[in-house]
Amino acid sequence: MKFLISLAFKNLTRYKRRTLITAGAIAFGLMMYIFIDSLLLGLEIESVRNLKWYETASARVLNEDYWENRFQRPLDINIPDPDSIISKLDKNGIKATKRIEFSGDLILNSFDFGEDGNMSVIVTAIDPKKDFDVFNFDSTIQQGRFPEEDEDAVVMGSWLAEDIGAELGYWITIVTRGNGGFYEAMDMEIVGIVNCPNPNVNRTLIMMPIAVADEYLAMEGASTEVNIKLPESADIDAEVIRIQNLLNEDNLTVMSWKSMAADYLAIAEAKRGGTSMILFLVFLIAAVGISNTMLMAIFERIRELGMMRSLGMSDKKIRIAFMFEAAGIGLIGSIMGVILGIVINFWIVNYGINYGDVYRDMDIGYRVQAIIRGAWNFKTMGIAFFAGIFISTLVAFFPTKRALKMDIPSCLRHQ
Amino acid sequence: MKNKIITILILLSLLIPVTIFAITGEEIIRKADEIQVFETSEASGEFRIKDRFGEKVSTFNSWSRGTEESLIEFTSRAERGQKVLRTEDELYLFFPDAEELIRMQGSMLRQSMLGSDVSYEDMTGGKDRISQYDVVLEGEENVNGNECYVLIMTAKVRTVPYPKEKVWIDKETFLVWKAEYFTKSGRLLKEMETLEVEEIDGRMIAVETRISDKMKTDTETIMIISDLKINIAIDDEMFSLEELSW
Repeated sequence: MKFLISLAFKNLTRYKRRTLITAGAIAFGLMMYIFIDSLLLGLEIESVRNLKWYETASARVLNEDYWENRFQRPLDINIPDPDSIISKLDKNGIKATKRIEFSGDLILNSFDFGEDGNMSVIVTAIDPKKDFDVFNFDSTIQQGRFPEEDEDAVVMGSWLAEDIGAELGYWITIVTRGNGGFYEAMDMEIVGIVNCPNPNVNRTLIMMPIAVADEYLAMEGASTEVNIKLPESADIDAEVIRIQNLLNEDNLTVMSWKSMAADYLAIAEAKRGGTSMILFLVFLIAAVGISNTMLMAIFERIRELGMMRSLGMSDKKIRIAFMFEAAGIGLIGSIMGVILGIVINFWIVNYGINYGDVYRDMDIGYRVQAIIRGAWNFKTMGIAFFAGIFISTLVAFFPTKRALKMDIPSCLRHQ
Repeated sequence: MKNKIITILILLSLLIPVTIFAITGEEIIRKADEIQVFETSEASGEFRIKDRFGEKVSTFNSWSRGTEESLIEFTSRAERGQKVLRTEDELYLFFPDAEELIRMQGSMLRQSMLGSDVSYEDMTGGKDRISQYDVVLEGEENVNGNECYVLIMTAKVRTVPYPKEKVWIDKETFLVWKAEYFTKSGRLLKEMETLEVEEIDGRMIAVETRISDKMKTDTETIMIISDLKINIAIDDEMFSLEELSW
């Protein structure tokens, strides 16, 4: 056995160029597999993170009747005393913030915008003191600032601002219905533009101070939701039950981000099927590449194989020697592939691919804006490493077997 | 002494027309509401909905009974067969293509009807305005040659869409010639004007009205009623859910 291993090793070093080219092909296939897997995983991880950071928070307290009516955004189905809930959660070390979400008509006047117009919008009223403890908007400001607590002002998502031609200092009017159903119109100055990494938010976001919304909409201290931030490592479902028990109020319900984003998760799950298919295809391409390279390597050595047989080496030993050699090529290719994968992954994780405005007006479901970043997946690297060796060894078996079925003169005459 | 008493009596008699015949804001609103209510009615008509992109015409047939029940069936090509049923407490929509019956409630009522400046809620409104608004008779004005009372209605409750309304009501016929609807902060939101009237059964009825959204430019909804017949026999089943989806 030692002799066979030694023979395989000598063959590898004897044909350095061939070994490197074959191993290089394997390495490229594995690197691509690691790269695509990293990209798809990164897309999913960042998407979920942006969903929680900018849309749903970790969990949300709602009036128990709100969720089924959420598309109408009713103000009368509310949490009457959100401050007491926030205080209760705060005592238990849980960060929370209240928000009011309402729909309305955004009226644009020609004085600022060049022409009159209107569109339906959803407005989020935030508590500027506490919102950044739960959501991550504080680092998203692109121009201007966030409104003061009692200022008739809004911040806008940069894509929405671009779409309507809004700039800092422009005035907008929001016509909506207050708590109870009365009409109200609010004149608001745009004091900030945020570039939110969540495209769904960046495309529609209008934020105003909750104190101002409370006054205009006659909320009398009520809010439509209380958002909660939990540690990334927390067992969300268990925490939701704990918070529900902690609040112990009949007409309130606590929902995890998973329940709120059930539609997204269902789509993500469906996409995961497609992702697996993409990965399988990439794997298949790599495997076919490896197989082809190995086949070529074996076939061009049939004469050498015939020589070994004519010198009296048994078929079994020849097969083992060839398979050791193939495994060696696979090992070199896998090491190179994983190293290349790590290098390219380092770049994609830290810098990402900026696909710019290609998907600017396209909702691809993922909550990722222009830059797609990868993610480290050591399991995939391990799979790639062992698959490289295994496939190389496996594909060497069949052509060797076929060559061994040929008689020795045919082997020696093989071109 | 006798002269003094006579003088006082004369002065008091001068006040009689003011005190006995003076009409209050509530009474004006009540009368204006009364002339719009029929035991039963049947009409056909059209909505002309204009916005910055052009004009859309939707035709309809309608039936009503008292203040609480009405049925509108759209007959124009795009909305053919769509029905809006208003019963005492509810509003239902029926879409024939989907064979779907939708009960409008809560904030769904605030949606615009066919993209017009009229919401479904506006259709259900008008019930018991006296209990929902404080009415003040502000004065008198002439609107397009018609002497009108000018009334300011301020909402007592938050559940009405318009916290403040200013209404011009004809002094003789109690027809509403003009109305302005304001937001809570006092911004003019919508305006309604009566463009054409018809005398039916001794009452002046608005048969062409224009509603415009003053917050938006180039939008207005003109409602034209033709072939209005009142106090006719209507099948009791007309305003039932079974009839709606039939």
